[in-house]
Amino acid sequence: MKKTNKIWTIISFEYITRVKSKGFIISTILGPLFLITIILVPGIVAALSMNDTSKKIAVVDDTKIIVDRMIEISPKTFEKSNKSIKELKKDVLEGKIDAFVHIPVDVFEKLNVTAYTPGGGGLAYLEKIENNVTQLVREKRLLDNGFDEKVIQLVQSQVNVNSIKVTEKGTQKDYTEFYSIFGYVLGFMIYMLMFAYGGIVMRGVINEKVNRIIEVINSSARPMQIMMGKIFGIGAVGLTQVLVWITVAIAISFASSSILPMILNNSTSNLPAGASGSVSGLPFDIPPIPIGVWVAFLFFFLMGYFIYSALFAAIGSAVDQEEDAAQLQTPVTMPLIIPLLFMPAILGNPDGNLAIILSLIPFFSPIIMTARIVATSVPFWQIATSVILCLLTLYGTIWFASKVYRVGILMYGKKPKLKDLIKWVKLAK
Amino acid sequence: MTILTVESISKSFGSFKAVNNISFDVNEGKIFGLLGPNGAGKTTTIRMITNIISPDEGSVSILGNKMDSNQQNLIGYLPEERGLYKKTKVIEQLEYFGRLKGLNKKEANEKAKYWLHKLGAYGWENKKIQELSKGMAQKVQFASSILHNPPFMIFDEPFSGFDPINTELLINVLLESKNEGKTIILSTHQMYQVEKLCDEILMINQGKKVLSGNLREFKRNYGTNHLVIEFSGDKSFLQNIPKEQILDYSDNRAEIKLKNFEQSQEILKMASAVSQISKFEIVEPSLNEIFIDIVEKMNLHSNGGENEKN
Repeated sequence: MKKTNKIWTIISFEYITRVKSKGFIISTILGPLFLITIILVPGIVAALSMNDTSKKIAVVDDTKIIVDRMIEISPKTFEKSNKSIKELKKDVLEGKIDAFVHIPVDVFEKLNVTAYTPGGGGLAYLEKIENNVTQLVREKRLLDNGFDEKVIQLVQSQVNVNSIKVTEKGTQKDYTEFYSIFGYVLGFMIYMLMFAYGGIVMRGVINEKVNRIIEVINSSARPMQIMMGKIFGIGAVGLTQVLVWITVAIAISFASSSILPMILNNSTSNLPAGASGSVSGLPFDIPPIPIGVWVAFLFFFLMGYFIYSALFAAIGSAVDQEEDAAQLQTPVTMPLIIPLLFMPAILGNPDGNLAIILSLIPFFSPIIMTARIVATSVPFWQIATSVILCLLTLYGTIWFASKVYRVGILMYGKKPKLKDLIKWVKLAK
Repeated sequence: MTILTVESISKSFGSFKAVNNISFDVNEGKIFGLLGPNGAGKTTTIRMITNIISPDEGSVSILGNKMDSNQQNLIGYLPEERGLYKKTKVIEQLEYFGRLKGLNKKEANEKAKYWLHKLGAYGWENKKIQELSKGMAQKVQFASSILHNPPFMIFDEPFSGFDPINTELLINVLLESKNEGKTIILSTHQMYQVEKLCDEILMINQGKKVLSGNLREFKRNYGTNHLVIEFSGDKSFLQNIPKEQILDYSDNRAEIKLKNFEQSQEILKMASAVSQISKFEIVEPSLNEIFIDIVEKMNLHSNGGENEKN
């Protein structure tokens, strides 16, 4: 019987009992739903609010020529009204209409229209009125001054700025904003996964200690085998979950680049192409996510998981119950949380010195380096340095944890402090 | 043939010396009793034998090989503090523990079912431990410690938590194993069971070896100084015997620890003068009394040793 068989037995037991559990299945399903909610809902809400059909604006047009064109452009928003201003004010107060615009006869000279609103409601539709009226007034003034319709069309045509990102492989569309948000999402996911799975490792160790199972297992395998078997087994559970999610995410990004625009285009087709040139139909479109991003995500998730779960295992071995772990956990959870606080600053300037330095600190690398890799093109030397530093740290935390673990699991009764753990490390030969 | 050799092992926890230079051999096919009061160092000794902890000094070898992860497979160990996964099915835990001892999944499954059947626990395979009573869980635990058919077993307080019927069931399993040529270390406070089951004993106190050897020889050597007298009538004669010598008495029965043989004759004369004697017998002391006697004498000489190593 080889030693590796024992560690394999432990890994497979830890893995199978957890993957079969309801908790795993539920969190695997709810995870992507949560993610979809975070990523897509703000986008969809933004998209829908841009062509908000709920606003009804009555137009009193003394010139008699503008209103028809306005309705032509935005039939759902504007409606012609023959009521007096007094009556319309009443309608606004009673909520029958959201606002009304009075276009005076002298609009072509004085360039003034008046919008009556109940107050609030955002600036979006005021801007819309302004854009619409400006366009039509300009048209009329040009026509009146003898310009040809062809010339007018030339003047009216608007320029769209397409930003292009320059890379070594050539030029491609720039999605800076999207990648920043996505970097944040992936960094945050690594944070949550390290916390969640580190916690599972800790509770697993405590469970075996509290229920005195550890003595039975320990009479069959060495403490190092038990600890590493648990860390690998639970890590494999995490990896399974993440792989499921990545598969779903790739499927979604594929689907959203082909299906989502279709849905959104239907509802945005009413927008005038000219009147609101800055809105391209979609609030954003989802660019392809390079496979390297997913590889980096998986790699740094595993790296972070191993670094932190070893420490969580050490804490679990030291305490008799979960409640006692809180105090010991602080030095471990602090470096987990710190990167999140720096995230906005780092994504604001992902190539800055702050971002570079923080991403090379091994306890921060899993979160920050992942976010940077998504948000910008990180030089190879920086990635290589962080990988080497992470591996060294990993070796260190596992060494420390294995020393604490073998003493801790048989130690009952007192609530240990951090300095006790360090004493155990010195004690273990 | 010697199956286990323990050579001058010591273990300290900080400044507390839990086990101090203990040596002994365990012979194949015997039931070996490990005795000692709470905190004597029994559990620490067992943990060193089972390779849960390593001795600071000395060595443990099993069948001539130094103890390591592979030798652990030769041992079946039932710890005093019982432990099972509460939310895992009985059969899954038994398979796991069996596989940790070197069985493959199929063997572990078959052996688990065999032992559940044998212990009257058949049909519990798919129950979770938290659904079982304490006694039922004890049976599962017992099965987990021996299902890999080890030649050498260590039971730490195996009878605690068992009712008399299940205790009897367990004793039968122990004796059966012994008949199959297996070796058992039994650590217990139940002296009655030790006297009934053990061939050899080792008594430790305050981390040190107090005595070891063949139980029968040992009892004989300790001296037959124990008088049981049954009578009817006046018990006033007992007043002439120093109080510390009277172990137990009632209106018609007394147990007396004799100073020497002559004293027994004096007591006989005094008793027969005032009452009728129906029984007068000089017997070996019970292990329980020897145990208490030794421990009390030792603790009188030193005042330490009350620290529980946990």
